[in-house]
Amino acid sequence: MSGPRVDAKVVMLGKESVGKTSLVERYVHQRFLVGPYQNTIGAAFVAKSVQVRDKVVTLGIWDTAGSERYEAMSRIYYRGAKAAIVCYDLTDSSSFLRAKFWVKELQNCEEHCKIYLCGTKTDLIEADRSARQVDYHDVQDFADEIKAQYFETSSKTGRSVEDLFRKVAADYISTTFEVMSEERGVNLEQKKDPFFYSCCHN
Amino acid sequence: MSQKFERRGIHVDQSELLCKKGCGYYGNTSWQGLCSKCWREEYQRARQKQIQEDWALAEKLQREEEAAYASSQGAQSQPQPSLAPFSKFEEKKTNEKTRKVTTVKKFFSPSSRTASKKAPSEKVEKVPGARERHGETLLRDLRGIFTPPWEMVSPTEENHEGKTPSPSVSRQSSTETDRVSRDFVEFLKNLQKPGREIHKQCRAFIESMANKKDLGADELSECVQDFYQNMSDRLLTHFKGSTDRVERVMDQVEKYIMTRLYKNVFCPETTDDEKKDLATQNRIRALHWVTIQMLCVPVDEEIPEVSDSVVKAITDIIEMDSKRVPRDKLACITRCSKHIFNAIRVTKNEPASADDFLPALIYIVLKANPPRLQSNIQYITRFCNPSRLMSGEDGYYFTNLCCAVAFIEKLDAQSLNLSPEDFERYMSGQMSPCRPEPEAWPSAGPGISPALREARRSLDLLASLEARQERVLEGARTLESDLIDWQESVEREVREILGRFPLEVRPPASAIDSDNVENDRLPPPLQPQVFAG
Repeated sequence: MSGPRVDAKVVMLGKESVGKTSLVERYVHQRFLVGPYQNTIGAAFVAKSVQVRDKVVTLGIWDTAGSERYEAMSRIYYRGAKAAIVCYDLTDSSSFLRAKFWVKELQNCEEHCKIYLCGTKTDLIEADRSARQVDYHDVQDFADEIKAQYFETSSKTGRSVEDLFRKVAADYISTTFEVMSEERGVNLEQKKDPFFYSCCHN
Repeated sequence: MSQKFERRGIHVDQSELLCKKGCGYYGNTSWQGLCSKCWREEYQRARQKQIQEDWALAEKLQREEEAAYASSQGAQSQPQPSLAPFSKFEEKKTNEKTRKVTTVKKFFSPSSRTASKKAPSEKVEKVPGARERHGETLLRDLRGIFTPPWEMVSPTEENHEGKTPSPSVSRQSSTETDRVSRDFVEFLKNLQKPGREIHKQCRAFIESMANKKDLGADELSECVQDFYQNMSDRLLTHFKGSTDRVERVMDQVEKYIMTRLYKNVFCPETTDDEKKDLATQNRIRALHWVTIQMLCVPVDEEIPEVSDSVVKAITDIIEMDSKRVPRDKLACITRCSKHIFNAIRVTKNEPASADDFLPALIYIVLKANPPRLQSNIQYITRFCNPSRLMSGEDGYYFTNLCCAVAFIEKLDAQSLNLSPEDFERYMSGQMSPCRPEPEAWPSAGPGISPALREARRSLDLLASLEARQERVLEGARTLESDLIDWQESVEREVREILGRFPLEVRPPASAIDSDNVENDRLPPPLQPQVFAG
């Protein structure tokens, strides 16, 4: 019932219809949905194992509702997340403003969460240059400012999708092993306390 | 509810965490910012005060009744028993068992009063006794009204000793607990030596928890979480890092421990979980009018498979309350979510995203109004194995449920795309969105539940019947007025004719032909003729 064990929680944030679900769908099933598809039940939560060098990490990818009416609840979603992929539609400048909002929220509430900016639907821009509404350099500046990784993807062609998630997994592994080696010492301390505590109370 | 997700990682100013009384210990929001000790004192004091007030009220009522009785009895000079409720505890204790009897006596006491009139010498001793008991029953009834149900178990003892001794964990035994214990032992047998060790640890932990019943819910949660942490750390060393096996053992440990602890730690009285439950329940009830369209749920209940999934989802979310183990409760949420996904998939013909799923879940929660929703969420948050709650699939659905509840609590006109006026009208029940203007009915289109459509059809039918009845009544009314008109016109005519030809009774004619109007046309009357012959 409970599915595979998951190491890291990755949340997808972004305005409605920027293509969060398609991005996950493309990454997990290597396909892009245009017509009716019957053989998949839902892409709101997926667990996917990624191998980075000699380590395997399972990412639990959480899709979130992007509608503004659920904005007040978004904090509940990204609590405890190790990484957040903040998506916006390259052909829709308002979606980038919303992305900035989420970045601010994340910085305030989840300082341990790594942020990845992801501009979607590059295929539309390749077809028609004038469709672009979010300037590449603006995003680059913004990404530098918040120290975030920046990707431009297309779920239709699959461009950069794999790179994005691979980067998320690799970053997770490198930070965990750093933290783990740091925390070892602390952990031992912590373990002792409740142990003595329960002893005394028995 | 969910700020407990990362209880250990929260960064707040130290002073904010301390007890408001300034005793130096940490306070807690669910105890109104006090520490456990101060909160208990505060709580006891408030309760004592409440009890005192109840007594005072009861005594006042008793005195009033006494006065009324005395005035009605007038001359009867029987010494009124002074009611001293606090001195009567011992007697009340024994009476507690024969409560029914005293209640019955209460009903009979007035008759004994009247009887005393007739035979005062005989009844003089009995009456005060009966009246005393009457007063006591009244007091007890009053206390029954003012005391919460959990304190009803033994209200008198509680007053003396200050707290209820609830049954110890070892004594509470149900078939489920027994079965779970057996399963646990059975499972541990496969692990041989470490199995025995685990069992010993768990038992010791449960016993230690039995002594910590006074602790607040969050402290209990800490204890359980620490136990999980210790246990899984030990197991990890034992199994040499095989997380899968650790996970399996931990599931069993959780099941065993939480089944045993459930009664004491689910919705404990030290928290206001129960109050929140009621608030949420009432809120959901008040929102009964929210439709699938307002929430933009991509679910079409006209499709049989979809409505089937919706029903199953509702059943699953309701079933959650009946489970004891946090993981089983989570499994119910997950099953519910899977059914919702299925409903969306069938309706939309494409995989559902979170944008579809969350509104659908909100809709299901609104329709199901699951019992003790807040308590269950709190219980899962406090006592579930955190590794499951934080990142796994169950955790995802649980988080969505938390969001749904938060949304329902905050829900306003804007979140349903309604005008504030309409929202107010729906909330106050003055208007129902199902019956706006008749022409809007068909446009409500798909997505309405079959039952709702049936109801609308019936409403339509009723409306047409009403119109027809109106027509019949109208016809009857015209018929009535026609009849009245007709009668009047006939009468008028008759009167007219009568006026024109007044009835004249003439004296009988002297001769038959005397006033024959047409006598001129008649041949002349025969004249007698004489014939000679």
